[in-house]
Amino acid sequence: MTHIVEVKDLKKSYGDVEAVRGVSFHVKKGEIFGILGPNGAGKTTTLEMMEALRDIDSGSVTIDNIDVSEHPYKVRAIIGVQPQSPGFQDKTKLTEIIQMFAAAYGEKVNPRRFLDDVQLGDKANSYVEQLSGGQKQRLSITAALVHNPKVFFLDEPTTGLDPTARRNLWKLIEQVRDRGISVIITTHYMDEAEVLCDRIAIMDNGMIIALDTPKNLIKQLLARGFKKSQKVEQANLEDVFIDLTGKGLGEHTS
Amino acid sequence: MRKKLYTVTTFVKINTKRFFRDKTAIFFSILFPLIFLFIFGGIFGNTSNLSFRVAYINQSQTESANQVGAILKSNKLFKIDPDISDIDAANEKMNRGQLDATIVIPRDFGEVNETLPSGKVEVIYTQNNQQAGQALGSILQEVMRGVNARYVETEMPFTVVATQSNNKSLSSFDYTFAGLLGFSIIGMGIFGPINVFPELKKMGILRRLHTTPIRVWQYFMSTVISQLVVGTVTMVVLFSVAIAVFNLKVVGNIFELALFLALGITSILGIGLALGGWAKNERQAAPLSNIIVFPMMFLSGTFFPRFLMPEWLQTASNYLPLTPVIDGIRLITTEGKHLTEIGPQIGLIGLWLLIVYAIAFRVFRWE
Repeated sequence: MTHIVEVKDLKKSYGDVEAVRGVSFHVKKGEIFGILGPNGAGKTTTLEMMEALRDIDSGSVTIDNIDVSEHPYKVRAIIGVQPQSPGFQDKTKLTEIIQMFAAAYGEKVNPRRFLDDVQLGDKANSYVEQLSGGQKQRLSITAALVHNPKVFFLDEPTTGLDPTARRNLWKLIEQVRDRGISVIITTHYMDEAEVLCDRIAIMDNGMIIALDTPKNLIKQLLARGFKKSQKVEQANLEDVFIDLTGKGLGEHTS
Repeated sequence: MRKKLYTVTTFVKINTKRFFRDKTAIFFSILFPLIFLFIFGGIFGNTSNLSFRVAYINQSQTESANQVGAILKSNKLFKIDPDISDIDAANEKMNRGQLDATIVIPRDFGEVNETLPSGKVEVIYTQNNQQAGQALGSILQEVMRGVNARYVETEMPFTVVATQSNNKSLSSFDYTFAGLLGFSIIGMGIFGPINVFPELKKMGILRRLHTTPIRVWQYFMSTVISQLVVGTVTMVVLFSVAIAVFNLKVVGNIFELALFLALGITSILGIGLALGGWAKNERQAAPLSNIIVFPMMFLSGTFFPRFLMPEWLQTASNYLPLTPVIDGIRLITTEGKHLTEIGPQIGLIGLWLLIVYAIAFRVFRWE
């Protein structure tokens, strides 16, 4: 089993506040790894240190055996990053966005191919400001993949999206994983983590307090004698919404 | 290296296209200076010659009166108000400061007593216009001497001869135009980046770029080049209008002028990159840029020539980054100097260029 990402005893403080207090984990090649936790748990800071956006106080991160703090530019060349809220400069066509991202990695690509990958081919010559929230997320994802990265980071990618757009995005993220790219994702949504992630780390107060597959985590909880106080319904309101508006996954383009 | 430059050229191409899609950006970079050109060109365009605004009232019917009138009307020193025919109207306009003086030819002017016609031309002026009135009196005296010579032969022992030199002096417009280009360069080079960068940071666009292997120098270089493209278009428009409408004569070599302008724009843009690159948001960008930009704008001679300032201020403002740019533009454009002759200006711009870019690289923040 090869580990594409290795994080060892990672620490970061802002003044007196210890945001990340000794985090260690690894990510396997071709898995979707989720980092969960309440606001302020240190998820984003951890992610930013892995992405070479923040200086590492102590500990180390290696991606594909390259040390992040020693070779930040080499690491940036093999990772793709999807920020929390993707912004694009206006008055720019979708094809130009793709060209610019590719150029930032020193690559020349066929933009149409990457737009087709996320069903934005028919919008190729539109300006980015004409896209909906979900379309922007999809553009952002395909833009992060123009250089065929080995690891793909997503920071709360589905925040603010409607249920259909969320499910579309999940499917897209799974397709990315199926191409052999390791995916690291942070989220607030448990359903998202349960459906999407192969393994999950739960963070609180700058530390990892649990790390396993979603199934095992649930098993462990039940083994501790946990019982849900409420009877589980066969369907919930979200299922109703999807049923009425979604018309199945993948076809809806919002 | 070729890959790194490919990054730069792609950014240049797309960002330049983007600029020309953005009507606000076009307005502020090209149209705004053009409006200023028309305003300042209109004010300073044709005031280089002295003249008096006068009312001319002829109450006499004689031949001599008509002669004097013809001489006054043909003299460019007098701008005769065509609407005024009586003293009251003339007084009213003089009191409002719209006329410098009134020239009255009295009823008895030119009547023959004894052998020759004679008479007195009256010049009326208000208390606030003493200088103009007295100057007018002297000029009219001279006019009368010409008229007198037809009747009486006189020999003057001492006379004055005025000779025009062959040198063309700088007109107000020449100063204004160079200053205006300075204003336009500030608009592009400083106000551009300090508006755009905080916006890009707010939207997380620069932060996102930072997750790619792009280097600050690549980003700066692409910004400088696309700004130079925009600058070229702006300068061509401004020069064309100045030449076509305001009779600007470009004496210097156009190629040298273009090179010099490129150097000037690059160095001033460095200030914008430092300010905009440092500021996290508009609230940080605005005060600092106002402190730096406005004094520089006024002290470097954008809106009025520096020779009007007190000496110590002239000396101090000599070393501001924009001053050598504006001076250099004027020296090449209107005085026909070559790049080799404006070494001090080029040296100073080069020095500032090194300083501001050193600062810009140091303080740049991606978010």
